[in-house]
Amino acid sequence: MGLKGIEDIADRVIKPSVLRGVTLYTALTAIAGCALFPILWAVSGSLKSAGEVTTPTLFPAHPQWSNYREVFALMPFWRMLFNSVLYAGCVSAGQVFFCSLAGYAFARLRFRGRDTLFVLYLGTLMVPLTVTVIPQFILMRIAGLTDTPWAMIVPGLFGSAFGTYLMRQFFRTLPAELEEAAILDGCSPWQIYWRILLPHAKPAAMALAVLTWVNVWNDFLWPLLMIQRRSIATLTLGLVRMQGEYVARWPVLMAASILILLPLLLLYTVAQRAFIRGIAVTGLGG
Amino acid sequence: MFVAPNLAAVAVFMLFPLGFSLYMSFHNWDVFTPAKFVGLANYRSLITDPLFSIALRNSVVYTIGTVVPTILVSLAVAGVLNRKVKGISVFRTIVFLPLAVSSVVVAVVWQFVFNTDNGLLNIMLGWIGVGPVPWLVDPKWAMASLCMVTVWRSVPFATVILLAAMQGVSENLYEAARLDGAGELRQFVSITVPLIRGAVAFVVVISIIHAFQAFDLVYVLTGRNGGPETATYVLGIMMFQHAFAFLEFGYASALAWVMFAILLVLTVVQLRLGRRRAAQEEQSWA
Amino acid sequence: MASVTFEQATRCYAGAERPAVDRLDLSVGDGEFMVLVGPSGCGKTTSLRMIAGLESVDAGHIRIGTRDVIDDDPKDRDVAMVFQNYALYPHMTVAQNMGFALKIARIRKLEIQERVSDAAKLLDLMPFLDRKPKDLSGGQRQRVAMGRAIVRRPQVFLMDEPLSNLDAKLRVQTRNQIAGLQRRLGTTTVYVTHDQVEAMTMGDRVAVMRDGVLQQCAAPRELYRNPVNVFVAEFIGSPAMNLMTLPVVDHAVALGDWRVPVPREITDSTGELVVGIRPEHLEINGTGVEMEIDVVEELGADAYLYGRIANADNTFNQQIVARTDGQDPPLRGSRVRLRPQSQHVHFFAADGRRLPFSRGTG
Repeated sequence: MGLKGIEDIADRVIKPSVLRGVTLYTALTAIAGCALFPILWAVSGSLKSAGEVTTPTLFPAHPQWSNYREVFALMPFWRMLFNSVLYAGCVSAGQVFFCSLAGYAFARLRFRGRDTLFVLYLGTLMVPLTVTVIPQFILMRIAGLTDTPWAMIVPGLFGSAFGTYLMRQFFRTLPAELEEAAILDGCSPWQIYWRILLPHAKPAAMALAVLTWVNVWNDFLWPLLMIQRRSIATLTLGLVRMQGEYVARWPVLMAASILILLPLLLLYTVAQRAFIRGIAVTGLGG
Repeated sequence: MFVAPNLAAVAVFMLFPLGFSLYMSFHNWDVFTPAKFVGLANYRSLITDPLFSIALRNSVVYTIGTVVPTILVSLAVAGVLNRKVKGISVFRTIVFLPLAVSSVVVAVVWQFVFNTDNGLLNIMLGWIGVGPVPWLVDPKWAMASLCMVTVWRSVPFATVILLAAMQGVSENLYEAARLDGAGELRQFVSITVPLIRGAVAFVVVISIIHAFQAFDLVYVLTGRNGGPETATYVLGIMMFQHAFAFLEFGYASALAWVMFAILLVLTVVQLRLGRRRAAQEEQSWA
Repeated sequence: MASVTFEQATRCYAGAERPAVDRLDLSVGDGEFMVLVGPSGCGKTTSLRMIAGLESVDAGHIRIGTRDVIDDDPKDRDVAMVFQNYALYPHMTVAQNMGFALKIARIRKLEIQERVSDAAKLLDLMPFLDRKPKDLSGGQRQRVAMGRAIVRRPQVFLMDEPLSNLDAKLRVQTRNQIAGLQRRLGTTTVYVTHDQVEAMTMGDRVAVMRDGVLQQCAAPRELYRNPVNVFVAEFIGSPAMNLMTLPVVDHAVALGDWRVPVPREITDSTGELVVGIRPEHLEINGTGVEMEIDVVEELGADAYLYGRIANADNTFNQQIVARTDGQDPPLRGSRVRLRPQSQHVHFFAADGRRLPFSRGTG
């Protein structure tokens, strides 16, 4: 066959595309590793015993599931889970409902001052959180709502500028013919909204719901300010309290972290597309 | 009317606080005793406050130290993820995972990773014979650690947006570039990056705004006093301290407005720069 | 400058019932303008992209010159392609678009400028060199796409339906420009289109494809005169050739009450035939096939008569189209007699193959 023949075969076998594939998958694995390692480390830590935690092993010798049981003993986990779910759920539902109403109004209905009002809305999007937190705190105080579940629910319940912006942009992309047909059939604006547009708005509504849920669930500053009693605390608050009270009890802390992580992870796997779309849409819409 | 509830919410929780906090910044108030008008005194003492310059410097360092790596890393990651190979969606799901994790959990978990005695990082450093690094304890390292965690947190978010933008680039352009002789890297630099300029600019602006106001992560990771020897004492922490620890609402409001002003200027400057940079790039091609 | 040869080239997509390109054997001579034509999905664009390296080759070979290129990267094949939607880099000016490939090849700036301005002069793009694609009209963008290909001085030009996004008038204009350009530059060109008029007017040779299989490759005239099967016969020529499936009775076929004799060589083998006559080969005459006219299309110089053949018992079951002078065409609803020009009658077997016979006997 000769040298040239062998070279030709070698050239064919180690095609550039194969090399490219290998480097690609290596890079992907490395990146995935970076994304996962803290969580994996937390899992591994959560299964170690107090003494074992100092050893540099990845897998614990005897998984200590008792750490997880301890979490429930050390903090009212179920209660907090319930609270987080309650707040996130109420606010998400409220946001979707009221923001879609307002979004529809801004997109399709005609009323005086509509456009200037919307510009004002957009303006509030730019205001950083820090400026509004203090007055909101004071408002709650004056209303006597501090340390009640209402403090967590009311501010977001009737929707936000952002949510309205999202829904309006979305409604604008729907074809006008849908409504025109309904108008010809004699529907009132409310009926148009309820029967025709809302079913079509599912993707945007889903994205907004998921985004809102995640934001409320993960919120830390606001619960920190508003809540004193443990019975209405959220999971985020619970974790930080634990962190403060049981310093360096790593296995239990890690177990708690993983437990708190799980519900959102579940939501993420189930609603991943809505998740990503929510973020992408907010990104590109801006 | 459709808009009424939503509008009321936005007005109450956004517009009113905006004005109110400005109003408060001109007063001394601690919620218990009536407010006392002091004019610009708050602003004046802010400027001369040594803690303010520390916080400002820390925030600037933090912002640069997180935004720059985030952009670079997420560009690369999005570039790698922007392919149609088998299993790519699995990798994408993994990379976006950190988005589902709350800041609080992130901070607690990373505390464990950074632990001087038995954290993952020091263990791994031990394998290659490097001494343990006091990540969160040493003032010199604390800021670096904080930045690392923030980048870990921000890259998925930026990647989602950049990836979505990349997918809007027509496949035909890459084919034309391949025929023109461009290799992978060349295609990325000359085609992908210029065409997602808008998304990159957006991510930069959003990241800067987030970083400048950061609170959650800093608080949970390095404590309410801004870390070892104020190494991570950022503006967000300072504001929280003055408002809710010292109950100096007026002062804190003044601080909030100063932050707002800085951010506004930064954003405007960025927009201008963006336009000018675009014009310059075109000449560099000739 | 080089030839392009397909040797049993095959491309099969996973999960597809049949190959997109099925054992294609085609050779394009050095400097030749070859047109690949066919309906959507026939494999013409896939074949083109196989030459470029944008589609992989599952079996067979493709040669550019003498070199088998199926393992070569697109950038190593020295081919330039004009895409259907031009694929111009939106963030670069016209000059930058055209110079991009040269820049990558690290050609000196001065030479890049020279080549770009030469191509720009050739294509009338000089005033637009500093504009971006979004500021150009469709026709201008098309020329930039061509300029980008020309500047590289490749061995082969590949063009993927470059005229399909232009309006009709511009299309005709640009068609001639492209053909003229190719003649002038002498570069081997493979051109894909679905429009048979483009194919016929531009190509040195035309390859008709269907369902991934090459039907016939020949000069336009040959395709028109001697289509090798029913598909090619129907595809080439507009309006399409009249094709009628008729039984052979007594060495002839009956068009209504008019008998068309069938050559001996053919009748011996079959009982049923497909008879083909082009509309332009039917003359209005005293004797011939009787037709009742349903629609008259007046196009100025010509008129086309659409109608049905009248049978002896006044039933109609066969559509027919005839061309006539546009000056004074017959009226709708009237009946005329059409005489087929005997030397232009085609016979095909029931399966579509051409049935050859020696003309002169008629």
